[in-house]
Amino acid sequence: MNPALSELGRIYPPERLLVQPGQLVPYESDALTAFRARPLAVVLPETTDEVVQTIGWCARHKVPYVARGSGTSLSGGSLPVEGGLVIGLNRMNKLLRLDPAERVAVVQPGFINLEVSNAAAPYGLYYAPDPSSQPVSTIGGNLAFNSGGAHCLKYGMTSNHVLGAKVVLPTGEIVELGSQSLEGVGPDWLGLFVGSEGLMGIAVEVTLRLLPKPEKYHTVLAAYDSLEKAGNAVAAVVASGLLPGAMEIMDHLAIEAAEAAVKAGYPMDARALLIVELEGEAPEVEAEARHLGDVIAASGAYEVRVARDADERAKIWKGRKAAFSAVGRLSPDYLVQDGVVPRSKLGQALLEIERLSQQYGLRVANVFHAGDGNLHPLILYDGKVKGQLEQAEALAGEILKLCVSLGGSITGEHGVGMEKKAYMPAMFSQADLALMRRIRRAVDPDELANRGKMFPHSEAPALTPHGPHPLEKAGVIWRE
Amino acid sequence: MQHKIDTQSIGPQGEVMAHAVEACVHCGFCLPACPTYAVLGEEMDSPRGRIFLMKEVLEGNLQLEEAAPYIDKCLGCLGCVTACPSGVPYGELISTFRGWAEPRRHRSPFARAFRLGIMELLPYPKRFRAGAQLGRIGKVFKPLLPQALQAPLELLPERLEPAPPLPEFFPAKGPRRARVALLAGCAQQVLKPNFNWATLRVLAENGVEVVIPSGQACCGAAAMHTGERGRALALARQNLKAFPNDVDAILSNAAGCGSGLREYGLLFVGEPEHEAAEAFSKRVQDVSAFLVNLGLVEPPALKQPLKVAYHDACHLAHAQGVRSEPRKLLRSIGGLELVEIPEGELCCGSAGTYNLEQPAIAATLGERKARNILATGAQAIATGNIGCFTQIQSHLRKLRREVPMYHTLEILDLAYQGKL
Amino acid sequence: MNEGLLIRPSEVAEVQEAVRAHPKSLPRGGGTKAALSTPREGQAVLDMTGLSGVLEYDPAEYVLVALAGTPLAEVEALLARHGQYLPFDPPLAELGATLGGTVAAGLSGPMRQRYGGVRDFILGVRFVDGEGEVVRGGGKVVKNAAGFDLPKLMVGSLGRLGVLVELAFKVFPFPKATATLKVTFDRLEEALEAMYKLASSPLEFYALDLETNPATLTLRLGGQPEALPSRLERLRAFLGHPPDTHTLLLEGEKERDYWRFVGRLEWGHGYLVKVPIQPSRIAGLERELPAGMRRYISAGNLLYLNWPDSIEKLDNLLKSQGLRGLVLRGDAEPAVSETLKSPLIGVDWEHSFARRVTAALDPHNRFSPNP
Repeated sequence: MNPALSELGRIYPPERLLVQPGQLVPYESDALTAFRARPLAVVLPETTDEVVQTIGWCARHKVPYVARGSGTSLSGGSLPVEGGLVIGLNRMNKLLRLDPAERVAVVQPGFINLEVSNAAAPYGLYYAPDPSSQPVSTIGGNLAFNSGGAHCLKYGMTSNHVLGAKVVLPTGEIVELGSQSLEGVGPDWLGLFVGSEGLMGIAVEVTLRLLPKPEKYHTVLAAYDSLEKAGNAVAAVVASGLLPGAMEIMDHLAIEAAEAAVKAGYPMDARALLIVELEGEAPEVEAEARHLGDVIAASGAYEVRVARDADERAKIWKGRKAAFSAVGRLSPDYLVQDGVVPRSKLGQALLEIERLSQQYGLRVANVFHAGDGNLHPLILYDGKVKGQLEQAEALAGEILKLCVSLGGSITGEHGVGMEKKAYMPAMFSQADLALMRRIRRAVDPDELANRGKMFPHSEAPALTPHGPHPLEKAGVIWRE
Repeated sequence: MQHKIDTQSIGPQGEVMAHAVEACVHCGFCLPACPTYAVLGEEMDSPRGRIFLMKEVLEGNLQLEEAAPYIDKCLGCLGCVTACPSGVPYGELISTFRGWAEPRRHRSPFARAFRLGIMELLPYPKRFRAGAQLGRIGKVFKPLLPQALQAPLELLPERLEPAPPLPEFFPAKGPRRARVALLAGCAQQVLKPNFNWATLRVLAENGVEVVIPSGQACCGAAAMHTGERGRALALARQNLKAFPNDVDAILSNAAGCGSGLREYGLLFVGEPEHEAAEAFSKRVQDVSAFLVNLGLVEPPALKQPLKVAYHDACHLAHAQGVRSEPRKLLRSIGGLELVEIPEGELCCGSAGTYNLEQPAIAATLGERKARNILATGAQAIATGNIGCFTQIQSHLRKLRREVPMYHTLEILDLAYQGKL
Repeated sequence: MNEGLLIRPSEVAEVQEAVRAHPKSLPRGGGTKAALSTPREGQAVLDMTGLSGVLEYDPAEYVLVALAGTPLAEVEALLARHGQYLPFDPPLAELGATLGGTVAAGLSGPMRQRYGGVRDFILGVRFVDGEGEVVRGGGKVVKNAAGFDLPKLMVGSLGRLGVLVELAFKVFPFPKATATLKVTFDRLEEALEAMYKLASSPLEFYALDLETNPATLTLRLGGQPEALPSRLERLRAFLGHPPDTHTLLLEGEKERDYWRFVGRLEWGHGYLVKVPIQPSRIAGLERELPAGMRRYISAGNLLYLNWPDSIEKLDNLLKSQGLRGLVLRGDAEPAVSETLKSPLIGVDWEHSFARRVTAALDPHNRFSPNP
C-alpha cells in the first residue's frame, strides 16, 4: 500500500477502506454506464469528523475526490475521478431529528429521499421533491444535483426544500449555510451550494422542510392518438388558469416499456399518455377537477381515466417513474437525455426530435414533465453495433442544442456532471463560465472536489500567465 | 449494460448470463430491495454491484477470487427481481454464475468439508434426522466449536417432533375435485413434519387427492443456488422420473423447494432433458396458489379473533410472485385479522443454506425481521417456508419474545378442525 | 451627498463602465429601502431606474424577464392583465420599489406562504460583476439545473456581489377568487397554537400572518370561487367556530385594499427591519419586544418589525435571541448612514464560504461598503 493510503488507513478500519479490485470495480460507474473510472480507493465514513479528516488527507496529498450516495446520477455526476478517492456516504444515513411541529427534518447525506416522507408520514407531513429515483437516491446526492421530479412546476426542486446544510468545504473548514427559517438575510449562500454538483464541498447534515400532505389527489390519465394533441391539452390546462401539481406525457415507446415493467394498465394503443394531477384541499380539488374535466374532454382524448383510490394513483405513477429503467426492456442500451424548452415550444421540439430520430435511424422514446417543458428523450441504441453509441451521442447532442436554441436549458434536473459539460458553452458565455470557475477555485483552490465535472475541458487549474490573479492577491488561491 | 462476455467459449450458460448483464442499466432501483445492501451499505454487496462483478469476471478483467466474497454474500432472495424495472433475470444470472464458478473456486479444506457436510446432510431426511439428533447433543459443546459450526446448531429445535412416515397416497374427502403430486421437502420432514400432514388434510378437505411419489428426491435448490450444478442435476433427474404425469399439478408447500422445481428449465440449459425439464417446471405450483385457483372450501370462523402476521418467504413472493394467494387463504378464515410486516419485502436471512454459510449477516437480518414482526403486535405468525420458519423462530427466541408460528396451511388445518 | 457620484446608466455597457470607473459603487433602484441605498463615503450611486422595462413575457410560459430597474408596480400591472402575479408577493411595490432592489434586499410578502419566497421564483439573472464583466446565471425556463445557481446567490446580496441588470422570474396564475379571515385571540399563546395547527393542516393559505396587538391571525384563502364558501366554513370549524366578535371577513375590493395597505409596510416613525425567524422563537422574542407595529408572515417565518428605539439596542436584542436582521429604512434617512454601521444586524454568520465566494465575484472590493 502506498504511504498516502496507509495514512488513510489510520482514519478508517480496513472494512471501511476499500482498495481491492473486487471492491472498487462496482464503484466505477453510476447510473450513466457510458463512463467508467477506477478510483484509488473507496472510504465509507461514519462521522463528520471522518469526513473532515478525509478531506484534509485529500488536500495534503492533492488527491481529487467525489462524494457519492446511491450512485443514481444520470449525468455521471458521481463518476469517480480516475485514481481519486470515492467518499461513500451510505453509512451516514441517519435521521438526526424530526420536528413535526416545526415541520423540519434533519438528516445525514446518505439518508434516502423516500425515507424522509416515510418518517414524516405519521404526522401528516411529507418531503415534496420526488425524483423518479426517490426510493433509492440519497438526500446528499439530491442536494448536490438539485434533483427535480414530477411536481416541480408548483413546488420547485430540491433547492426550494432545503433550509440549511452543514458543509465540509474542500479546505476542511465546516460552515453552516441557511437556517431553520424559510427566510434569510444576506446573500443566499445555501442557494449557491445546492446544485453545485459536489464541486464546493460535502454536506454532512441537511435540514429539510416538510409540507402537510395534501388532503386530496385527483389523478387523471388521458390517452391520445397523437403527441401533438397531448401537448395541446397541456397548453389548454395552463390557459385555463389551473396549476396542477404535475403534468406528464409519455409517448408510445415509453408506454410500451413502462407497461412491460410494472403492468400499470396503461392503454397500450395510445400514441401519447397525459397524466395530470391536482392536489390540495378537498373542496378546492373537487372544484378544480370539474374544470380540468372540461378541459380534458375538449382536448380530444379518446380515453380518460381518473384514479379512484390511492392504489390506482400509485399504479399510474409507478409506470411513469419506472419508465427510464424500463426502456432497458426495449433496447440493450439507451441514453437518457434531459433538456428543457419553453412550454409553448414543446410541440416544435418533439417534431424536431422525431425528425432527428429518423435521420439518425435510432428510436427515441419520450417521457417528459410537460408542465415545465422538461424533456427526457431516451435514445435507444445497440452498443454492440459499431458506431451506434457515437451516433446516439451525436443525436443527444443535437437535441441539447435544439433545447438551447429554443430558449431552454441543457438540463432540467439531472445536472451537467460528466455528460453535459461539453454543452455548457452552448448555454453560457465564456465570461459566465469564467466567473463560475472563479467561484469554484475560490472555494476549492486545487479543484479537488469532483474534479472534471460541470466545466468543459476541466482538468487541473491553469492560471493565466500574465501577473497574479486578483484572487491570488486576495490570498484566496495560490500557485504551488 | 455493455459487455464483452465471450459467450462462444462459455457456451449456453454464457448466453443466459450475458442476456442478464445486458438487461441491467445500472439504475440502482435494486439497492433498497437488497438485504445485504441494507446491512452493509456497500456497492459490491448490492445486486447492481454483483452484476458488475460477474460481468468483469466473465469478461476476464477480474479474478474470480476477487469477486467471490461478494457473490457468496448474495442471499438469492430475488428481492431485486421484484424491484427491477428493467426486467433483469438476476436469479438466472446468479444461479448460473455460481454453477460456472464453483469448479473454478479455491476453497479452504474446512470450507469444502463444511459445504460437503451441508450437501450430504440436508437433502436426505434420514441422514438429516440423525444429524439433527446428534446436533442437539452438540449444543452442549457449542461454545467449544468453531464459529461456522455454531450457526447451524442455533437453528435446531430443542426437541425433534416425531415424524410418522408419509403415505404414498392421501385420498380426497367427498367428491374428488383434483389430483396432485406433492414434493415432501427435506428439512421440513425432519424439523416440522406437521407441515406436510396439515397440507394433506387441507387438500383432502378441499376434495384434492394427493400422491407422494416415493422415488422423489430433494429438489436440488440448495445445490443449485450454491453452484453445485452436478449435484443439482442428479437430484433433478431423479425427480423428473419420480413424478407422475397423471396429476393436475405438482405441488410444493415449501417456498424454496417450489422455486427450485420451477428452475429446472434453467438448470437443464444445454442438457438433453431440457424440454422435459421446462415442461415439468411449468406444472409446479405452490400449494397456496393452487388452492386459490381451485377455490377454497370456506373454513369455519375462529372462536376468538386472532391477529396474524403473514411473512412473505422470498422464494414465494420474489421468485414465484406468490404474494396475494396465501393472504387470500388466511383472510378467508372468519375472525382472523391479517397484518402486514414493516419492510416485508426484505429477506429474513434464512435463504436456503445462507444462514449456515454467512451467519453474521443472516443474524442481523433475522433480528431485524423478528423486531419488525414484533412491531405488528401479531398473536401468531404464518409463513410458507421451513427456512424462514426456523430462522424467525430462532431470532424471536433470542429476543425472548416467542410468538406462535405456523405454516399457512397449518392455520387452515386448525381452522377446519375448529381448533383455533 | 456629492451629486457627482450619482450615475444613471441607461444601458448595460454604461453599468460596466461605471463599475470599472469607480473604486466603490452602490446600485440603487426605487430607493424605497433607504438603509440599503444610501451611499457611504466614497461610494458612487448607480441609479438603476434607467434600465427599466419588461423584455419577455408570454403568459403561457409562466415566465417574465425584465430589466432590473423595472418598477414592481409596472410588472404587477402587466401580470394582472393576464390573471397572473409574482407569487412571492414583493412588498413596497406601491412606493416605487424595483425588481432589482427587491431581489438584492431579498424581500417577499405575505403571499409567500402559498408557494415560496423570492428565492423560489427567481429563474435567471444577468449582472455586472466586480471585474465589470456582464455575466449570466440560470435561464429563462421554469426548470433548469445547468451551472451554479447564481440567481439564488443574488437574492439578499445587497449589491455586494454585483450589479443586477436583468432578471427572470417564474410567475403563476392568480387565484380566481380570494377571501381573507381575520381571527383575534385573547392571548398570544392561543394565536400561536392556532398558527401551528393551521400550518400543519392540509388547509392551504395564500397568507398566514400573525399580528400581536391584539393577537390576530390573518388568513387568506384563494382558489375556485365556487369552493370558497365551503372552505371558509371548514376553516371556521377548524378554529372551533370563533365568535363573530373575534372574526372579520374581508372580501372583494375591501380585501384587495387591505393587502395593498399591508404591502406598504408603512408603520410610522422608527426603523423597518426584516427578521427571518421560525415559529418556535416567536414567544421568546415577543417577551422582549416593546408594543409596536410588526407582522409575522408565512406562518412565523418572517418578521417585519417597526423599531422605535436605537438600532444598537435591537442589535443586542436580536443577538440575545440568536436572530439576524436587515434594516430596510429608518425615519431620519440622512442620519441612517451615519448611525448604521451595517444594515445587517444581530448574530453575525460570517463564514469562510461567504468570504471566498465574495472575493471571487468582487475581487477588487468595489461593492463592499467598507474600505
